[in-house]
Parts: sequence; structure tokens; C-alpha cells
Amino acid sequence: MEQTPVLSVENVSKTLGGNAILRSVSLDLHAGQHKVLIGPSGGGKSTLLQCMNYLIAPDTGTVRLDGQPVDAQSRKQLYAFRQQVGMIFQEFNLFDHLTALDNVAVALRKVKRMPRKAAEERARAELARVGLADRAGHYPAELSGGQKQRVSIARALAMDPKVMLLDEPTSALDPELTGEVVEVIRDLARSGMTMAMATHHMGLTRALADEILFMQDGEIIERGSPSELLADGAGTRTAEFCNHLS
Amino acid sequence: METLNFIVDRVMPALNEGAVISIQLIVPSTVLGLLFGIVLGALRVYGGSVLGALANGYAALFRGTPLVCQLLFLYYGLPNVGIYLEPYGAAVLGFSMCSAAYHSEYIRGGLLATRRGQHLAAQALGFSTLQSMLSIVVPQAVRRALPGCGNEIVYLIKYSSLAYLVTCMELTGHGKELAAQTFRFSEVFLVVGVYYLVIVTVASFLLRKLEDRLRIPGFGHA
Repeated sequence: MEQTPVLSVENVSKTLGGNAILRSVSLDLHAGQHKVLIGPSGGGKSTLLQCMNYLIAPDTGTVRLDGQPVDAQSRKQLYAFRQQVGMIFQEFNLFDHLTALDNVAVALRKVKRMPRKAAEERARAELARVGLADRAGHYPAELSGGQKQRVSIARALAMDPKVMLLDEPTSALDPELTGEVVEVIRDLARSGMTMAMATHHMGLTRALADEILFMQDGEIIERGSPSELLADGAGTRTAEFCNHLS
Repeated sequence: METLNFIVDRVMPALNEGAVISIQLIVPSTVLGLLFGIVLGALRVYGGSVLGALANGYAALFRGTPLVCQLLFLYYGLPNVGIYLEPYGAAVLGFSMCSAAYHSEYIRGGLLATRRGQHLAAQALGFSTLQSMLSIVVPQAVRRALPGCGNEIVYLIKYSSLAYLVTCMELTGHGKELAAQTFRFSEVFLVVGVYYLVIVTVASFLLRKLEDRLRIPGFGHA
């Protein structure tokens, strides 16, 4: 019998402002799998990721966590669901008025209702994990882009998510700062975290992807392992697109 | 010399008494007005169609009618429907409600200037909308709105001088009474003006201190 996927998306569609952004998209994320979304801007990658944790409610279709459909009618269930699905944004979205430590600790305290001391202890451990133990007292405005993204990863990990969604985590960074973030993401993958990631970073894609999903016009038009899709002379849309990237 | 004696012996004792009442009006009205203004501003931005429309209507009504009318309505009008307010209570209520309408405008600006990603990130971590408002969005918006809100507080200090219209005898009321008795309007109101100037100066100093205390790198010029 096949295992239940950690997170699955079934026939999800979304129309925004009269444009079909997602057209009946389906995908399964099994425990420990790393799937990478590739494709041109406006192809629906971000919208798909945001539908996967219900930051955007799909018009039709079902999202399941451990086989349980998300019931957006119940606010409580929705908030509990989102706690278990970590999200990394292209623009980091650190809380601007909080230190790095409080950025990581605030959800532990307010959402998980942990006492302040325990939350801060956990937050310190997560900051240390991404190599930023010495930046705990810094505000976002005092951190580099790469450091901000690492804090945002620590913030997501502190919630003990079952799966992580990463929306172009290195795209807003200066080239010399992508390395430190890529390293953290690779560590995360090695630790067995289940992940779906939109990225244009080919090194990261080749290193991590169990499967590449090529999205265009709201549909997944190709899917397969990197070796299949990116092989010399594969003649795939994915290969063509990736050649233009590098 | 005679003028100085008049000021020290007659004007200042009367005004000191009034100034105490003025401060008793200003402090609670400032706090209540600001708190209510924050709630109102948040509702105007995030309240949805029903609550948002009600909050907008409230702001339009209280910003669109003279405070004098509001005070007179509260004190002389409400008894017609069986609600009797003390002069002091009517004044504080009127000031707070009017001030809140103006504060809500500054808070609304602060909320709109807070990037959408802040709320999105909070939601992604499992915050409810209310939790995100309280812990993430409003603390940022208030910091951005503080200079504007401080301006409104300075206005409030001066429109507290309308309280004597509902027989709450504060600084201006005492001044007016004394001036009417002595017919020395220029001396009395010159000193009344100085009293307000001192109160506003102290308030501005405290507001600046508060801004400094709440200052965070990345908000304004750090």
C-alpha cells in the first residue's frame, strides 16, 4: 500500500482578477521528498505555494495534510494547519519591529503559547542552527539579505513544521549572499525535511530536486527527475528554459 | 508693578485651579482617545464591509461636525433621552470620541504603510488575524503614526478649552470668569495663553521622549 503524502494538492484552481492563475494543479509531497517548481514568472509558482498553506484559498480543489483535507471554514483548524506548514518568502518578511531573536520567538509565544523563557531558548537554538547565534539582538534593518533569509528559515523551523514551502528563497539576494542561504537549505534537505521550492537557482535544483515540476500558464506541463528533464538533448521545455538561465 | 501684582495675586491662583482641571481632562482624554483611535483605525482598514463601514461612518461624523456641537449635544441634548452626564464626564467623553476619530486617520495611514508581507508572514506561522494585528501590524503602525498622533494630542490640549461650555470650569473657564469680574481681558488671556503654551511644551517633550523610547532601527531615521 502506498504511503499517505505529507502534503498533497488535488485539482487546485485559482482565478484572480479574471485570469486563471492555476488550472487544476495536482501534486503530492511524500515524507523527505524535495520538489522544485521551475518556470517563467507569472506561471503560477507563487500562487501554488500560497495555496498549499492556504494563504490564498483555492477556488476549487483540495489540499491535504497527512491525508486530512484542510477545512478553511474552521478558523481554528486553518491556523493549526498553517503552523505545520513552514513558509519562506522571497522578500523574507521578517517582522520589522522585532529583533532576530523575537522574530523567531514571537510565534512560539503567541501561537504555541510557550512561556517567554522557553521560547527564547528555542529561538536561540534555531538561530544557532542557521549560524546566527551572534545576531540575536539585531533588528532586520541591521542584517544583510542573506542573514534575514536565514532568520526567516529559523523562524519557520522553530514551529516544527512537517513540510517547508520556499518561494524563491534566493531571488532577492545579491549573488555573493546566495551561498550562505543555499548552504542552510541544503542542510535542511539533508536533515530529511520535506520541501517544495520555487527557484531559479540551478545549483540548488540539481543538488536537491527529487522531481522538477515545470509550470507555465497555471499548469504543470512537465515533471520528472533532473536527470530526465535536464539531460543533454532531452529536448524538454525545462531544459530549454534552464539553458537560458545560466 | 500693579499689573504684576494682579497677575500673581489674582490671575495665577485662579488659573492654577483651572489648570488642574484641564490636566484632569487632558490626560484621560488623550489615553482613551488614542486607544479608541487605534481600534477605530484598525477597523477602518481590516474591519471588512460591515465593521469597516461603521468605523468609516463614525470617523466621517466626528471629523465632519464641530466639537462644540458634539459637546453641547452630549451635555444638553442627551438628557432628552434620559441620559444625564456630569460636566466632567461629558467633556472627557466628547474629547475622547472626537480625538479618536482623528487618531484613526493617522493609524490608518500607519497601517496602510505596513507592508502586506508582515501580515502574510504572521498568518503563515499560524497567527489569527487578531493576533497578527496585536503583535505584528499595530505595533508597527503605531510607531509610524506616532508623530501624527502627537499632533492630534497637541490639538486636544487646546480644544480642552471648550469644556467650560458644558460648565466644566477648567483653565479657560476660570480665566473668562476672572476677566469678566475685573474687565482686565488682555492680562488674563495673555496669561491663559502662557499656561497652554507651557502644557503643550511639556507634552511635546514627553511625546518626543516616547518616540525615542519606541525607536527601532529601520523605522524613520534611526
